[in-house]
Amino acid sequence: MSEDFTDEHLLTIEGVSKRYGGVTALRDVSLRIRPGEIFALLGANGAGKTTLIGCVCGLISRFDGEIRVAGHDVRRDYRVTRQLVGGVPQELNHDGFLRVRPCLEFQGAFFGRRRLRERAEELLRVFSLTEKAGVNTRFLSGGMKRRLMIGKALMHEPVLLFLDEPTAGVDVELRDELWTYIEGLRRSGVTIVLTTHYLEEAERLADRIGIINHGRLLRVEGRRELLQKFGRRWVEISLDRDVPDTLLQTLAPLQPVKTAADRLRIEFQDTPENGGGDGPIQRLWVAVAAEKLRVRGIDGGHSRLEDVFRELISIDGNGEGEESP
Amino acid sequence: MTEEIETAARRRIARARESALRESGWRGTLALFWREAFRFLRMAGQTLVSPVFTTMLWFVVFGFTLGARLDEVGGVPYIDFLVPGLIMLNLINSAYLNAAFSLFLSRIHGSVVDLLVTPLTPLQIMAGYLGASVLRAVATGAVIWAVAAFMGAGTTHNVGFTLLFMVLTSLAFGLLGLMVAILARDFDDVNFLPSFLLLPLTFLGGVFYSVNMLPPFWANVSLFNPILYMVNGLRYGMTGATDVPVWHGVAIVSTLVAVFGFAAARLLATGKNLREGA
Repeated sequence: MSEDFTDEHLLTIEGVSKRYGGVTALRDVSLRIRPGEIFALLGANGAGKTTLIGCVCGLISRFDGEIRVAGHDVRRDYRVTRQLVGGVPQELNHDGFLRVRPCLEFQGAFFGRRRLRERAEELLRVFSLTEKAGVNTRFLSGGMKRRLMIGKALMHEPVLLFLDEPTAGVDVELRDELWTYIEGLRRSGVTIVLTTHYLEEAERLADRIGIINHGRLLRVEGRRELLQKFGRRWVEISLDRDVPDTLLQTLAPLQPVKTAADRLRIEFQDTPENGGGDGPIQRLWVAVAAEKLRVRGIDGGHSRLEDVFRELISIDGNGEGEESP
Repeated sequence: MTEEIETAARRRIARARESALRESGWRGTLALFWREAFRFLRMAGQTLVSPVFTTMLWFVVFGFTLGARLDEVGGVPYIDFLVPGLIMLNLINSAYLNAAFSLFLSRIHGSVVDLLVTPLTPLQIMAGYLGASVLRAVATGAVIWAVAAFMGAGTTHNVGFTLLFMVLTSLAFGLLGLMVAILARDFDDVNFLPSFLLLPLTFLGGVFYSVNMLPPFWANVSLFNPILYMVNGLRYGMTGATDVPVWHGVAIVSTLVAVFGFAAARLLATGKNLREGA
């Protein structure tokens, strides 16, 4: 019986850069992924997400830097690393000569796997493709092709799965099913790296999030930490009369905003300190009571990952932001 | 992420790594070979039946009409003389087209990435494609050979040599097909070689006639056509007759296999036009 894998990281990316002619797709990217985690890589189109995945999966062979999977170099020991990695490309593809079931079986067979029929049946069921098992892959809808591609990437039971925009073009119901399946995969010990445009996806699934822009990895943080560090909360109250200037003066350090004649909004960093007894909400409350105002309504909320993402990207601007972590 | 999940992941990684280190990849090569064979067998009407049917028309038209007027060519009945040339015509086409179109189409449809992410080495990928090309070419040739025998052609002079020569020739043109599939930018590039080079060279390579029947000048020019040696090599195996020394044919085909094999392996290893940025 084999010993457990003891290295701290399953995937190590060190100083990876990639240029296409005059265009820099990746600039000195370093990243480490722990076994069992779900890591989301967020970035706009052309940010470098797909290039980074391509370097790990073997679709891009010439790059500067080093990438290791389970301690094996992806270029020197590619016969080992490709057994460990599964990749779902972003571009839809099909093999016009094959039906769905053989397509899955052949993909598993390329990796030398046995018991292909059982595995294919299982994945057909998971991805709701059983009824299409005998259909030529070119007749599948976009969503079905996407599911088939995920199925193909899973045929050899990889330990590190890259999902490049896995739910693009997939309807909402199926997207939820896919998310549940991804969570199940992780529970079974598969480490997952996903790129997505749907920040909701990263917010629901990811343990850690990396934000990439202009080929630079701007920030890598735990999802909660990222939201806490960059996220903001807001509280808006509506009063029984117009907001008095004296209230605005009292609350000036909180930079209150009058959103209507009788409405006042404050925004503040979403930190534990700001949630305490002397926090902005308490200060607002005390000031309102001191002015003997009556509160007719209260709204509130906190920023989502989407807002954090936009803020970080806007800080980076044209790619001249912070160094990669 | 819980400790439980991390422990499950570590256990899984250890198992997968151990099995990855044991895997040679040759089962994957066999799978690629079967996928390619499955592909041409699914289209057997187009890949096997059609060339056999067309070739039998050539055989009937030329063999029986011209054959009735010609006693013997190169010391053998014309109908026997004709069969190896027609088989060579199909061997070259089938081997080339099988590899070229399959790989080129998978590039166009994007499904080539399914192969590129596998642990198969360039040599194993080459072997998978080539195996299917050779199978298709030799199967087409063998069916034509059998049908010709049924129609009265006596072409079993040296069956072992004939089969060896068929395999060698199929290998050479399968490799050429792979190279073109990697380098081609569009379908015209893939079609260019068979239409404008291979077909004319085969027709001028003594499929229907002996070079000894040509005026000396054109007979000498023909000696620069490599396909002449292939047609005559196969003709020797089938009938014992040949216009040129047999070893020339063996040497030329073996050299082509070596040169094309090296070039195709290099192209696959560098990932040109296959792996992004290569």
